[in-house]
Amino acid sequence: MIEKKCKTARLDRKKIKFSFLGIYSVVVYIFLYIPLLVVIFYSFSATKSIVYFERFSMDWYKALIEDRTLLQTTLHSVQVGLIATSISIIVGTSGGFFLARAKIKGKEVFATLCQLPLVLPGIIMGLALLVFFMSLNIKLSMFTILLAHTVFTTPVVMFQVASRLQRLGFTYEDAAKDLGANSFKTFFLVILPMIKTAIIGGGLLAFTLSFDEIIITFFVTGTWVTLPVYMYSLLRYGLTPQVFAISTIILFFSIVIIFFMAKFTEVKSERVQR
Amino acid sequence: MIESKVKEKLKEEKVKKTTAEADVLKRKRKTLILMMLPISVWLLAVVIIPVATMLNMSFKQVEGFVLKDVFTVNNYLKFFKVEMYWRLFLKSFRMAFIVAIVAIIISYPLAYFIARRIKKFKNILFMLIIVPLWVSYLIRIIAWRSILGNRGFLNVFLMQLGIIKEPLEIFLYNQFAVIITLIYIAIPFVFIPLYTALEKIPDALISASRDLGASGARTFMHVVLPLSRPGLVTGFMLSFIIALGDYIIPKELGGVGGIMYGNVIWHQFGLINDWPLGAALGFILLTVALIVLILSRKLGSKEGVFF
Repeated sequence: MIEKKCKTARLDRKKIKFSFLGIYSVVVYIFLYIPLLVVIFYSFSATKSIVYFERFSMDWYKALIEDRTLLQTTLHSVQVGLIATSISIIVGTSGGFFLARAKIKGKEVFATLCQLPLVLPGIIMGLALLVFFMSLNIKLSMFTILLAHTVFTTPVVMFQVASRLQRLGFTYEDAAKDLGANSFKTFFLVILPMIKTAIIGGGLLAFTLSFDEIIITFFVTGTWVTLPVYMYSLLRYGLTPQVFAISTIILFFSIVIIFFMAKFTEVKSERVQR
Repeated sequence: MIESKVKEKLKEEKVKKTTAEADVLKRKRKTLILMMLPISVWLLAVVIIPVATMLNMSFKQVEGFVLKDVFTVNNYLKFFKVEMYWRLFLKSFRMAFIVAIVAIIISYPLAYFIARRIKKFKNILFMLIIVPLWVSYLIRIIAWRSILGNRGFLNVFLMQLGIIKEPLEIFLYNQFAVIITLIYIAIPFVFIPLYTALEKIPDALISASRDLGASGARTFMHVVLPLSRPGLVTGFMLSFIIALGDYIIPKELGGVGGIMYGNVIWHQFGLINDWPLGAALGFILLTVALIVLILSRKLGSKEGVFF
């Protein structure tokens, strides 16, 4: 009898907690998404002033197609994104392998160093790179932007690969090596296929970050401009409505990419036995 | 006789085994060294050397438009002597602290709810929080500027409801706008480590606590909260550092009152053209960020935003 009472009491308590927390969570989600919805909303508004939504219009989207600079800078961003991601996949995969498998004493320090570009404020990396380029008399161009982007894309791929390798464990490599495969064969025929989803997921994430990057990029941009820098320049001289249209399109594509990225990388963390 | 032969044979096998093992180890080591090269080159070229160059620059001096090749600690002294610099730094420190705390307060119940109260759709709900993070920094700034402005969404909304007659100017171009936008940016950064930490707590511990007679609140205070501490520390560290060094949000939404330390650094590379001073100010920021990072490493977890 007492057991039954205890059980129902527990269930009741759980129910009340559920709705409190549940409502709160819904409110937070709304708070997180309203700004994005506002942007999308305004991109379809006909009037230049943001005040009242008069009629539905695709004018701003049409204006986008005629904006040559916009198309050009978008292309630039794609170029930088692809090249930076490719570099970081090569460097990051080998680095991640090293991080997961090496048993050297300084490994922790090494890992922290590689993590720094991600954690430190972008302004520091930006100005450090700027000073670095200037002291070598390197002119600000696509090359400098590319280099700056590898600063954060490489660790992203590297840590994805490292954690995947850690989860996989030594067994497969050891088995391959014991069977006589040399290092090359082991890497390309055994390990690589098993971490390929981590690499792809990390690569997609890296591309997304590169495409959107403004904080560091702003420091190392010369005359060759990427999309976020162009948008920022539009933004500084008042909110032209085209900015909303560009933003909405970027939002859409980013979500698509993230969707695919989620399919490739495991988002769940290891759970202790429940 | 047979004994010695067996012993010999065993020795042979042992030698064979160890040489085979040694071979494998050698191959492993070669691979590892090969793997270490690209990442080390990258680390050196893109992280270590630029920061070293920045440090080097911070000891130089600018006169007029000429960079003089001297060694001086003047720039660092300036930080402490000129009120504007250290005051602004403390102000940014305070603002970043507020951002981090509020972001944690907002995110903790959310992380708790999704990590421990939801069975289905956990992944989707988790991704929904992350999506704004990867989607666009700039777009979120655009969004808040258009919400908080005179002719922005918030004012229009309040006017439509009849709460105010004229648009209020207090929402934009001040510390409030900067802080609220930074909180908005920070929430996903705080959510991830919190969620990870909360998810890891085994149900068994909670059940044990309840079975021993502790109420829900007591279990939370004495079991869940302490166990989620690594997530709290990491989340705090990430959002604090992001807020501390930001310069775009204060620039676009801060007006005059919302300037932060990042702005002043940025100015040195603009019209003012005092790169040594900018480098020095930047290095001070770097040092503080590193200290926060090391502290949180000791107190927190090793989980990060990207792995």
